[in-house]
Amino acid sequence: MKEGATIFQRRIVIGAAMCVAAFALVVVRLVDVTVFHAAQRRSVAANIASYRTDLVDRNGQILARDIPVQDLYARPHAFWDTAYAAHALAQAAGVGEPALLKKFTQAKKPYVFVARALTPDGQDRVMHAGLPGLEFQPGYKRYYPDGRATAQVLGVTGLDDDGETIGLSGLEMGLDPKLRDGEPGQSVALSIDMRVQYILAHEVEASRNEFSAKQAGGLVLDVRTGEVLGMVSLPDFDPNARTLGTGDTEHNLVGQDVFELGSVFKIFSFTLATEDHKMRPDEILPIGNGYKIGRFTIHEAEHMPATLAARDVLALSSNIGTTQIALRSGPQRQREFLERMGLLNAIHTELPEARRPQFPVHWGQVETATVSFGHGISVSPLAFAAAAAAIVNGGRKIVPTFLKHPEDGRGEQLIKPETSEKMRDLLRYVVTNGTGKKADVPGYDVGGKTGSAQKARIGGHGYEHKLVTSFCAVFPVHDPRYLVFVVLDEPHGTKQTFGFALAGYTAAPLAGRVISRIAPILGVPQHQDPIVVARGTP
Amino acid sequence: MIRVFNFFCIALMGLSILALYDVSEKTRLTRVDLDKTRHAIAQEQGQISVLETDWARVAGPERVATLAQSKLGLDNTSAVQLSSFEQLPRNGEDSPLSQSPLRNANAEAPAQ
Repeated sequence: MKEGATIFQRRIVIGAAMCVAAFALVVVRLVDVTVFHAAQRRSVAANIASYRTDLVDRNGQILARDIPVQDLYARPHAFWDTAYAAHALAQAAGVGEPALLKKFTQAKKPYVFVARALTPDGQDRVMHAGLPGLEFQPGYKRYYPDGRATAQVLGVTGLDDDGETIGLSGLEMGLDPKLRDGEPGQSVALSIDMRVQYILAHEVEASRNEFSAKQAGGLVLDVRTGEVLGMVSLPDFDPNARTLGTGDTEHNLVGQDVFELGSVFKIFSFTLATEDHKMRPDEILPIGNGYKIGRFTIHEAEHMPATLAARDVLALSSNIGTTQIALRSGPQRQREFLERMGLLNAIHTELPEARRPQFPVHWGQVETATVSFGHGISVSPLAFAAAAAAIVNGGRKIVPTFLKHPEDGRGEQLIKPETSEKMRDLLRYVVTNGTGKKADVPGYDVGGKTGSAQKARIGGHGYEHKLVTSFCAVFPVHDPRYLVFVVLDEPHGTKQTFGFALAGYTAAPLAGRVISRIAPILGVPQHQDPIVVARGTP
Repeated sequence: MIRVFNFFCIALMGLSILALYDVSEKTRLTRVDLDKTRHAIAQEQGQISVLETDWARVAGPERVATLAQSKLGLDNTSAVQLSSFEQLPRNGEDSPLSQSPLRNANAEAPAQ
């Protein structure tokens, strides 16, 4: 006969059951912590930004780098006095107290973000506050050593919804996939040459101040490789500051905007006529006081002689002469040619913000005339420079790039090499005998063309009495390596320019100064014959 | 005999446990040291990175140009004042300017 369990055995069973229950509790808690609350534990770690690859210029100089900083987080439930903690942290970390207090009181997660990118000084101040529940997470802050000088090209970074650093503008945005999740020591080499960039920025700013221009910009392009060695747009901004200062803008005039560039566009009209054998440089054209097309009359910006040789039409920038030459090719051929040159489509580079060009929907005789001298068609300076580079580099297409690419990047043949050579001669003639005289640099053969466009009224028809002046220069013109394009928005004449604000007085000298400073740095061979020096001696 | 052998085995096992514990503890401590060293290297690399960035700032063309102008009185050189090594005369050769209009112009200047 089986006896019932003794009291001793029952106690053992109860003890064993309690042990099992205790272990079961531990297991449940373990599962809870490791599985169900894993996301909360990772919330701080998720905010640690990954390293973003460095940007360096073509010579290896750092343009943008992530530098290590500390992000500050707090656990509000660890504070004895939340209001005091908010006050102390706000003072130590330099953040807004009311917002911080609101974060602490309404916190749904165990960690609350307090301040980003604390410097070692800031970290010390926070530690001296003596608060519990603080945690520092190492992070990175994007720093731009050259500040404003490269701001419009490089752009800035920010955080997306997941706390990941992403490019918000400029090359930071355009090259974002290449720059994400890098390793310290890795870099992306840009085509920018910081020496050229600085000179361009310095001279463009000086001209903007001299002529009280609303905006100004410029770029230097290698006509063989397509590399952009420098790009400047003013006003600019401080990429290391979190907010824009008064008068600052992130808007890139050269890469983003489209303009009616005016007479600088005559380069394309003459190229087309030369390519199609519709013009000889020495043929004489009647100019007169106006050229009627239907109910419209084309006028000159300045007084012109009664007749001009075709080369002087370009050199003195005659609208009437250019109109006659353009009409020989006709609307359809002109449109085809400009499309082939890439001027009727948005330009695609590593800069992400390119706007589409604007051009006439109905392209008739009048439109052919206005487009021939750069009105009625708006293109970006960068697109213009790429097309102009193709004209002087032997007639082959280039695609501008902001990545270092020292190899020859010339592609499809757009115009005949002979046309390219003739155009280089004509551009040199503009500088030696025409409106571009102030762009000439002794020792270097500069060729170029001025452009003075009246600004179109915003939201209406007609034009204002305000100018956009530009100059497109190539050097050395008989074997071109570089193209310099500068633009001034609403320049004003000065005493030195006798009150004139046309491109020959404002943009041409700016291009000349830029070339005189960058040409020796870029190793462009000087004119071998020192007679140029002797001419300068009285 | 079997007892002696058993005792020997147990003693050997005990010694092995102690030796294994010693090795494991040393490994743990070495790993801690390694982590500390890695952390120190990372910190140093971070500081080097900051210094390199600061160097890029202080050695940037804008700052150098400003200092050269304010402290040394240097200014931009005219392009015609610059030359290249290719244009310099070789040993024994005449200077490119020796027969140039520049020298002739200077020589002729008083007569004009």
